[in-house]
Amino acid sequence: MTLELRQVGRNINNQWIVENLTMTVADNECLALVGPSGCGKSTTLRLIAGLDPVSTGSVQISGRDITTLSPAERSVGMVFQSYALLPHLNVFENLELGLRIRGVSKRERTSKIRQVLDLVQLWNRANNRPAELSGGQRQRVALARALLREPEVYLLDEPMSNLDAQLREDIRPELRRLVLEQRKPTIYVTHDQHEAMAMAQRIAVLNEGKIEQIDTPYNLYHNPCSLFVARFIGRPQINCLKDESGHIRGVRPEAIRFSDSGLSGKLQSREWLGNSQLLFLETQQGVIRIMAPPEQAIPEQIRLTWRAEDEILFNAETGLRLSR
Amino acid sequence: MPLLILLLPSLILLIAVFALPLFRYGWLSFHADSVMTGLVAIPNQGANWQRFIHDARYWQDLIQTLRFAFVSVTAEIVLGLIIALILNQPLRMRALIRSSSLIPWALPTTVMALGWRWIFNTPYGPIDRLMQSGLGQSLNALGEPSIAWITTVYADIWKTTPFVALILLAGLQTIPSDLYEAAKLEGASSWICLRRITIPLLLPYLGLALMFRLAQAFGVFDLVQVMTGGGPASSTESIALYAYWNALRFLDFGYSATIMIGSFLFLSSLILIAWLVITVARNRAAGVYAK
Repeated sequence: MTLELRQVGRNINNQWIVENLTMTVADNECLALVGPSGCGKSTTLRLIAGLDPVSTGSVQISGRDITTLSPAERSVGMVFQSYALLPHLNVFENLELGLRIRGVSKRERTSKIRQVLDLVQLWNRANNRPAELSGGQRQRVALARALLREPEVYLLDEPMSNLDAQLREDIRPELRRLVLEQRKPTIYVTHDQHEAMAMAQRIAVLNEGKIEQIDTPYNLYHNPCSLFVARFIGRPQINCLKDESGHIRGVRPEAIRFSDSGLSGKLQSREWLGNSQLLFLETQQGVIRIMAPPEQAIPEQIRLTWRAEDEILFNAETGLRLSR
Repeated sequence: MPLLILLLPSLILLIAVFALPLFRYGWLSFHADSVMTGLVAIPNQGANWQRFIHDARYWQDLIQTLRFAFVSVTAEIVLGLIIALILNQPLRMRALIRSSSLIPWALPTTVMALGWRWIFNTPYGPIDRLMQSGLGQSLNALGEPSIAWITTVYADIWKTTPFVALILLAGLQTIPSDLYEAAKLEGASSWICLRRITIPLLLPYLGLALMFRLAQAFGVFDLVQVMTGGGPASSTESIALYAYWNALRFLDFGYSATIMIGSFLFLSSLILIAWLVITVARNRAAGVYAK
């Protein structure tokens, strides 16, 4: 089972919200869509789910064209950012609604819901309303509803953005296990790159409705195809130094070392990050960020250097990577 | 203590315009105060209440008032919901349609009641002319007791449905669209969405509209006064109209006060029941919709 988007676009009032999107998500693969807000990642999900109509291109599941099908006919399981649970129904009733609509018998409904609630460890909360659940529990109910749909594709729209940072980290392994166990193409939308890296085998970086790059987390970090990707992926942000030849040289903060020769600089400020320290150094080429070990002493005369292979060259005008 | 001081201005106002007249009427209902007593209040040992209990005209008016209130409010809620659902759709010129739909409600009741009185006039109004030329029969919409009350109900529905629609439209806009989208993914039809999402989440607003409208319809005065004057044969007479006649036609202030207080007790118990129902419904629907 694969999900395939072919030149998918969405145009509203002569403006492309999403343009010429082509990608394939394999069976048993989780692909994350990341990008700044307004880049079209949620729209992409809605196009796949059929909640918004596509203007161009086609959406296919395992070679079957679903572009013109209604949302109900598409067999997609979606987890909404707000979880979209009905506040006046309890967990059991919320899950039961979809099964009832699809005409599943009472006995089968009960056993299926029991099964899925055991899976997300919420059977003891079956009689609670959403308001009586924590954010993490609500999210699991929303996931349970998507699982009950037994879809061919899973779509997760910022499922963790309503949870606090600690909880997000706690839930990640559980969510990853549940999603991967389904062995179905999954698209995971997030604006948090750490979450994307943790959840997905591949990441698609979107910029103004277009895909900048689709690749593994490792490659996105080490071989970004454009300045946009290089800046978007990796925190603290990559250093961008202007070259005499008009190119932009990108150097990751952890690749820069103190030495006896090289670019001279002055310490502007520093942030302690526990397992490291982030130094801001003022140089002739602007402020440079350096990640250093916490015990690193700051020399009196600061000179900075880095290995040539840690340098990524970009065209200053197009922002595209120059092959080395 | 400082809190109490802050509440004082509105408290004084409420006491002055609401509690004091009420107490005064309660006191007056145990007194004879009419032309016969020279408009001086004389205690009459509950004679007003004796009369009130056996007053067939009052009970007939009460039944008429309840009939008017329940029929018009039910129709207004149903129509208001339909209109609100339509106005909640993305339409061309939605703002214009929304605001123009409020015109009947914005018209002063006396003005619009006069208008309807003319429209339903027999034999010169347009409705009756249509009936005569079409069916060869006069409707006599305001002169026939079995029809006249329906005519007043019709005018009330015309006037106040926009108000109900406005409340329900506000309620509809609080329902997040992703609830419908999630249901659509499960294959829910529009009917299921209405029954399972819209109506349950709209219950507090339906209750609010119901309470407002019941209270107003129960005290209906100007519409009936202008359209029929309570006739024909008292068939459209509301309790407010009857109380007004007692006070300002018969100059029997003691008995008029008794009617007011009696009706007040009845109405407040009605509203208490409605409030209890709403509270239960709201607690059921209460959901912090997490965002």
